[in-house]
Amino acid sequence: MSMRVATDIGGTFTDLVYVTPDGSVGTGKSDTTPGEYEKGVMDVIAACGIDPRDFDSFVHGTTIVINAITERKGARAALITTEGFRDVLEIGRGNRPDFFNLEYRKPRPFVPRYLRREIPGRISYKGVETKPLDLAALPAILDDFRREGVEAIAICLVNSYSNPSHEEAVVARIRDVWPEVSVVASHQITREWREYERSNTAVLSAYVQPIAHRYLDRLTGRLGEAGMRCTPYIMQSNCGVDTVKNARQIPITMIESGPASGVWGAAALGRLIGEQNAVAIDIGGTTAKCGLITGGQVKLNTNYFVERSEHSAGYPVMVPVVDLVEIGAGGGSIAWVDEFKRLHVGPQSAGAVPGPAAYGAGGTDATTTDANIELGCINPHYFCGGKIEADVPALEGALATLARTLGTDRRAAARGIIRIANNNMVNAIKLISVNRGLDPRDFTLIAFGGGGGLHACALASDLGIRKVVVPSLSGVFSAWGMLLSDLRRDFLLTRIVELGGAQAAADLSEGFVSLEKEALRQFSAESIDRSRVRFLRYGRFRYQNQEHSVEVDLPPGEIAEGRVEEIREHFRSAYEREYTYRLAAPVELVCFHLVAIAEVEKLRPQKRPAAGGPVSAAVKGAREVDFAEAGIHRATIYNGDLLGTGMAFSGPAIVEEAGTTVVVPPGIACRIDEYGNYRLGIEGGAR
Amino acid sequence: MSGNHDPITLEIIQSSLQAAADEMFAALRHTAMSAIIYEVLDCGTGITDRNGELAGSGAGIPAFVGVLDKTVKKVLAKHDRPGDIEPGDIFMTNDPYNGGVTHLNDVILVMPVFSDTDIVAWTANIAHWNDVGGMVPGSMSTEAREIFQEGMILAGIKLFSRGHLLRSVFDILTANCRMPDFLTGDMWAGVASVRVGERRILEIVNKYGKDVFLHAVEKYMEYGEQVSRAALKNVPPGRYFLEEEQDQGPPWKVTVDVSDDEFIVDLRDNPDQDKGPFNMSKDEAIVSCQMAFKCVTSPERVANGGTFRPLKVLTRHGSIFDPKFPAAMGIYYEMTIRLEDLVTRCISQRLPDRLPAGSFASVCGTLFGGIHADTGRTYAVIEPELGGWGGTPHADGTPGQFSALHGETYNCPAEVAEARYGVSVDYLSFHDEDGGAGLHRGGKGVRIDYRMRSDNAWLTVAYTRSRVLPWPLKGGCLGSPNHVQIVRRDGSVEDHSVVSGLTVNKGEVIRIITGTGAGWGDPMQRDLALVQDDVKNGYLTREQANRYYRLEERLRKSGAG
Repeated sequence: MSMRVATDIGGTFTDLVYVTPDGSVGTGKSDTTPGEYEKGVMDVIAACGIDPRDFDSFVHGTTIVINAITERKGARAALITTEGFRDVLEIGRGNRPDFFNLEYRKPRPFVPRYLRREIPGRISYKGVETKPLDLAALPAILDDFRREGVEAIAICLVNSYSNPSHEEAVVARIRDVWPEVSVVASHQITREWREYERSNTAVLSAYVQPIAHRYLDRLTGRLGEAGMRCTPYIMQSNCGVDTVKNARQIPITMIESGPASGVWGAAALGRLIGEQNAVAIDIGGTTAKCGLITGGQVKLNTNYFVERSEHSAGYPVMVPVVDLVEIGAGGGSIAWVDEFKRLHVGPQSAGAVPGPAAYGAGGTDATTTDANIELGCINPHYFCGGKIEADVPALEGALATLARTLGTDRRAAARGIIRIANNNMVNAIKLISVNRGLDPRDFTLIAFGGGGGLHACALASDLGIRKVVVPSLSGVFSAWGMLLSDLRRDFLLTRIVELGGAQAAADLSEGFVSLEKEALRQFSAESIDRSRVRFLRYGRFRYQNQEHSVEVDLPPGEIAEGRVEEIREHFRSAYEREYTYRLAAPVELVCFHLVAIAEVEKLRPQKRPAAGGPVSAAVKGAREVDFAEAGIHRATIYNGDLLGTGMAFSGPAIVEEAGTTVVVPPGIACRIDEYGNYRLGIEGGAR
Repeated sequence: MSGNHDPITLEIIQSSLQAAADEMFAALRHTAMSAIIYEVLDCGTGITDRNGELAGSGAGIPAFVGVLDKTVKKVLAKHDRPGDIEPGDIFMTNDPYNGGVTHLNDVILVMPVFSDTDIVAWTANIAHWNDVGGMVPGSMSTEAREIFQEGMILAGIKLFSRGHLLRSVFDILTANCRMPDFLTGDMWAGVASVRVGERRILEIVNKYGKDVFLHAVEKYMEYGEQVSRAALKNVPPGRYFLEEEQDQGPPWKVTVDVSDDEFIVDLRDNPDQDKGPFNMSKDEAIVSCQMAFKCVTSPERVANGGTFRPLKVLTRHGSIFDPKFPAAMGIYYEMTIRLEDLVTRCISQRLPDRLPAGSFASVCGTLFGGIHADTGRTYAVIEPELGGWGGTPHADGTPGQFSALHGETYNCPAEVAEARYGVSVDYLSFHDEDGGAGLHRGGKGVRIDYRMRSDNAWLTVAYTRSRVLPWPLKGGCLGSPNHVQIVRRDGSVEDHSVVSGLTVNKGEVIRIITGTGAGWGDPMQRDLALVQDDVKNGYLTREQANRYYRLEERLRKSGAG
């Protein structure tokens, strides 16, 4: 039997989803095994009782890159840069988000100053060499690096975005004289300008490269030994997958692969069920992540940051990452009271150990999950899919302690936790919607992750959203999203082309053609046939001298001179949509963005026939539930595993299934659609 | 709905106010035309209560946090007859003598938020407009002798009436500005921003009810006050005094009287007002003291009207901190950082275990321009500079960061500067100048080399802390100066800190060197391993390590002992 398989390593669990040719779906979850992540993958395969020899395709997403960075467990890295620019990595951009703090400290660079070394040679912004590269000092620098135990070298030279030849020469020389060391040059990752962001990106890539190499080698080794014959793909932060070979070369592009596949899954699901404009929210154990889907497409940015917060400028990573906002609001988020008796939830999390007080593993802090049990939203006797019995005395104790500090009772404290957690998530959704000029009321909320169904309706009601989808398989939704991804690479090149110039059309064509050639060269080196490859062209344009650019899509093929005016108008209207006005000023292209997509065999979700039988057959019972803002009601409890396509009911209700709980407040209609998703409508908004 | 005074509801309303102010900021930045707004983020947003007390402020720069409440209060005082203020009105101010606080380039828009017939709040924003008329392009000149030379004065005038733009007012604005397109774009950005705020506040009011909303705002102020009062307990009561020498002119003096519930800054004994633009309005002097007060007491983000209740500021009319009309004020910002630094220093002398040593403490406002070497277009650079901050009681100072007036301000990458201005950036790293030694050393200052690629470029700078250096604490060493060197073609080097319209030609270098922060604590107490690390990293030359830390001598001794 052949099957498609996706595995997703998360902070707590390693998830697996497989689909057989007849469309039947299986899932599994095992503990994540830090330090030896491939073990968790093999465990979950074994737990599902499936055989790697049957895998037709295998997609894998992993947090190994982001973990290596946040836990500071990467390799000893060094940086080679242009003479005069040694401290760019430490200076950053000079901003200070924590703006009353006189003791603000910048994020500490991943390469200390003595491992940041300079070499002479300059390329101008136009890509012309103005001072020849002088590698005379390089052997001595490399000797120093060897002595200092350096394992990986990043190279970032000023203006390499416009002409990478100096960086290429440095790479070549290092490979010659020190073949064992891991090397990455900034132009191999991106050709966008801004030397600090590109340096930091190259440095972080070098920092994780040895770890990622070893991990991917072990994983493919183990799968090979187990008889897997298909080529594995690795999930990327740009919502595509890539080959192991490419992922090994530039591992930094894996940095947000899990969240990317979740948002991508939501986009794919939205296209499938006709919800092209959606807010995706993934509520996990530690954080909630939300992203925006417009016209069935996700938005990518190249201004991603690691560890950015209101207290820290963070570390920029200039690779295409799905545009999302992440906040510390998940099931394990800890509730606490400050010295002024104000209640807060998160960002600290109880994690998997000790976990919420209800785990009975020694946790004494009340968490969002504990509050949901207290309010009756989560069934203490069907906790974590019935695998454990919630430790009710422990959670009641934790909530009582919190309530005493607040001067209130346990129930009120629990309600406060939920309302504040919800409010935090609402503000995060506003960040990705209203703060970008979009009204969330025009969107559908697609909520997944362990806590998606618990909070979705409350969030929607606060935001004025009328339609909510809680997907089938919402507990392993990120893994499901991987099965729907194509092989995708993004190529970015900063190069200014004035649309008014005589050469504009030729320059535009030339830019894209050169990127397309590079893409095809890479694909053919990996035996990917060009007939499978298609290109999407985007240009980032701006009014001359402005900083903000707007990305617009461009036609394929030769760009004839007559098309330039059309492109300019296309930009002007896109700019007006985003910034509310248009100008007579000249327009210029700042950055070429080429997306190369190679089709891979993907999952095609199958419709399910309508279930027979009445919905009452799925009723488990009834209990009192405190819906926080929506009041206290006696709710009908449904067994989600017995609900089928076409069944419908109304709140107050709770749906319990192994992977998730769906809270249906009073007045909300719920229907199971032809793909098994929960479709919820506020005020009769459901179809 | 039950529980009008439910604390969770109040907290949610308060955090929604904060979110609304942030959203107003995003709208302003998003739609602004001028780079100084959307890049340097020389702008701010805020929400006040119905009386003009600050209720919440958006991201941006701290120097604008306490400005907008003062505007609203002036607008309320001016428009005091029934029917003067109606739903949909928007008022406009830039007059530092009348609620505009800073200088004429900073234009403030304020909008009342009505629930039925009552004002429940105000939304407001401030942004630096490129040109508001006056004697020079860009409106700011070190040559200005009265405010009339710095542009048109808008003293709390009505710009929108019942939702409609007053065409005649708008025509006066555009006719008096050299860049009317930018003015128009920036004005609409400001309008979009106050309107977004109004919408959000009405949503809150409609959801929770007017009374609950007003109550939540009141409680929020009380919370701000509680935070400040609790923090004030950490500042020992008594009289603090400091007289500080300035780079130019007579010294400045400050007395701070701290009691259990007050923090009174007395600035009365200070020089007469400047004949040029080196003055600040009394309101701006208050803002500067608010910043210092906030930084030394409770640097958490919450900052509202309640926060500043314990603070009082006394000035003398006719002095640099409270000049008589029509004194010019274009360069108020360098005065602001000086005063903020003065008050912080005054307190830290007595609380050296809680506060950091002095930083480079200058905006280092740098203006240069000329003809782009490749495109032939004119270009102009207006930028603050990065410098070193002082060592702190807990750690070495932060290197290469904008002054305390700045928050989310970003420098211009060398790669962007080379393309945009047609100059060559030859160097962007720390420098080796002496200064900042200490148990916790000062953060390094920065050197930037801009090499001109065409003739006849001009340079204007007005830096302070060039002669009187960043101040140390607890036996640390002074920091290093802010200055600019011009490296001429013949190799000669000129040194400047205040200069106007200096000509720089092709092949010559404008070398900006900003101060290293001062040291905190005795350098002899610094762990030798850390000194050795500093040498290994090149933060110190070997010679500096021996001169300031007696590295070799101490190593020999510790080896012998």
